Amino acid sequence: MDLRSLLRPASQLLTPLRCLSSGPRAVTAAVSLPLTSSRGHKTTARTKRALKISPHDSFLPSRTTEFPAADSIIYNPPASEASPSHTPFIFLPRNDPRRLAITRLRSTANVDPTAYNSQAANGELPPEMRYKRRQPKYNLTKEHIEEMRRLRNEDPLTWSVQKLARKFECSTVFVQMAAPAPPEHLQWLKGKLERKMERWGPKKTAAREDRKRRAEMLYRGEL
Amino acid sequence: MKRIRPSRWSGQLLQARCGAGIAAARQPFLLAARSQSTSSAAAHDSSTSTTTPIDSPPPLPAPSFSRAAQSAKLAALHARLSLSKKIPLQTLARALVTPSADANPNFNNTNLAYLGSTIVNYHVLEYLVCKWPRLPMAILYEALRAYAGDASLQQVARRWGVESAAAPGEEVDPGLLQWKAGEEQLVNTRWGYVRSDKAPAWRRGLSSRVVLDNDFGDQVSSIEAEKPEFDTLQSEAFGSVVQAVIGAIYTHCGREEVKAFVKSHILSRELDPSTLFEFKLPTRELAMLCAREGFEAPVARLESETGRLSRTPVYVVGIYSGKEKLGEGAGPSLDVARRQASMASLKAWYLYSPGNKVRVPSDMMEEGAKPWKAPYIDIGEII
Repeated sequence: MDLRSLLRPASQLLTPLRCLSSGPRAVTAAVSLPLTSSRGHKTTARTKRALKISPHDSFLPSRTTEFPAADSIIYNPPASEASPSHTPFIFLPRNDPRRLAITRLRSTANVDPTAYNSQAANGELPPEMRYKRRQPKYNLTKEHIEEMRRLRNEDPLTWSVQKLARKFECSTVFVQMAAPAPPEHLQWLKGKLERKMERWGPKKTAAREDRKRRAEMLYRGEL
Repeated sequence: MKRIRPSRWSGQLLQARCGAGIAAARQPFLLAARSQSTSSAAAHDSSTSTTTPIDSPPPLPAPSFSRAAQSAKLAALHARLSLSKKIPLQTLARALVTPSADANPNFNNTNLAYLGSTIVNYHVLEYLVCKWPRLPMAILYEALRAYAGDASLQQVARRWGVESAAAPGEEVDPGLLQWKAGEEQLVNTRWGYVRSDKAPAWRRGLSSRVVLDNDFGDQVSSIEAEKPEFDTLQSEAFGSVVQAVIGAIYTHCGREEVKAFVKSHILSRELDPSTLFEFKLPTRELAMLCAREGFEAPVARLESETGRLSRTPVYVVGIYSGKEKLGEGAGPSLDVARRQASMASLKAWYLYSPGNKVRVPSDMMEEGAKPWKAPYIDIGEII
């Protein structure tokens, strides 16, 4: 290794001299038989140089103090799933010592050390996901509900749950609670669904059963 | 109002009611002599044997306690558990005789095992309640079962080196566990409130399990509906040995000794309560929790993702309440990741622990204990 690193600059110095001294026939010979075997740039770069990465800052001792630094703790756990045994701040009871300590830290430090990442420390949260969730509006009055019930009782086919929810700007769950359909209509709907399920082939039935089983496994923490 | 039906009780309980067993049980069991004791037993302690001579006495169902001192296995077990000298080998021998081998309560381990089970359950339960004060009741029952259930106690007994005899009998080494399966359960070893048979299923809620059922929240039935399996009977027999040994330690050595023993043999076993959970609607439960506690409604936020268009994407979702993060989870789809994150947040709530070294009420029994500081008590489950 050391010998080669010495030889290579030397050979690079020599090559142009030899090119000058000899004719074109000698040049081709020099190219075909170099003094040192120059390995492909790619191999060394890939296997040695590219892998030489300086350690992450969190591995280095703290430089905030002056040079003969006091003993510092290097805390750099590997990336892993968050453990539920680390209770979040707001889940700590009022008189828990951890809560008091975090509150003190937050009030003194500029950057919140208990925040999970730097974004959260700056007040920037990751983007919200879009999913169906409860967004109460409280926009319906007693008259509205009576009207809803009347419509549902008069013609449950036209005034379906979806349609009523869209008309009154409320959730479908609320419609189902406030204006349930007459029992014969529910019976008819149930029969319709059963007839539909009878037509399903073995693949579809199995797929639905599997999905149900997967959900149960997920809720048991097995997935 | 439920009616207690003594006519359906069997064995020992009924005997105790009639007063037949009680007088004998009050006697120190070492002095109690079996009416059909053999000639060899009579030769060893002729002072206590008041037997009427029988020409061909039937063999004893289990080895006589008088042979306990000669058993190498018993002495080894005594030494292995580093039991106190105050506990005689005869008591240890009695702890190894299960009611399936010898139905006589003066000679089997039922009484010791019941005493031991109350001690074990008390110490485990107070530890669990102080260590994880927010565990729901169903999880608490399962955690108690994981520490003090028969299956766990069987493992403890096997690690102690307890072995069972091929069949119980007089000639067997008293250091072996005397039990047999497949016999009619002659002795009642279950304790709890027997519910009415006609009660519909909805009557068995969790709060009624707390009040009526046994320590593990299991229903006590007066009639054995189906015959218990071999494994159940075996773990019951092995578990009763551990309980009986603990009962014997309490009887001979007292409270502090037995607490130290339970701590080192049962509470030292590791249990991860986060594996016991099974959720139904985690997102809704979390929303209700936040509403109850006055936190902002939980919002799922996408922290990072990779391979959205590939076959195996990974999404990392965090649940936030306001600016505070409650938990995070990863999954192969947005929905699964969100549900995982909700479950992680709920577990973070339920598994709150004041610390690894919690003080339990029984610590106050020690001499010179520091003044009691009330542990954290949760207001209850999310309904």
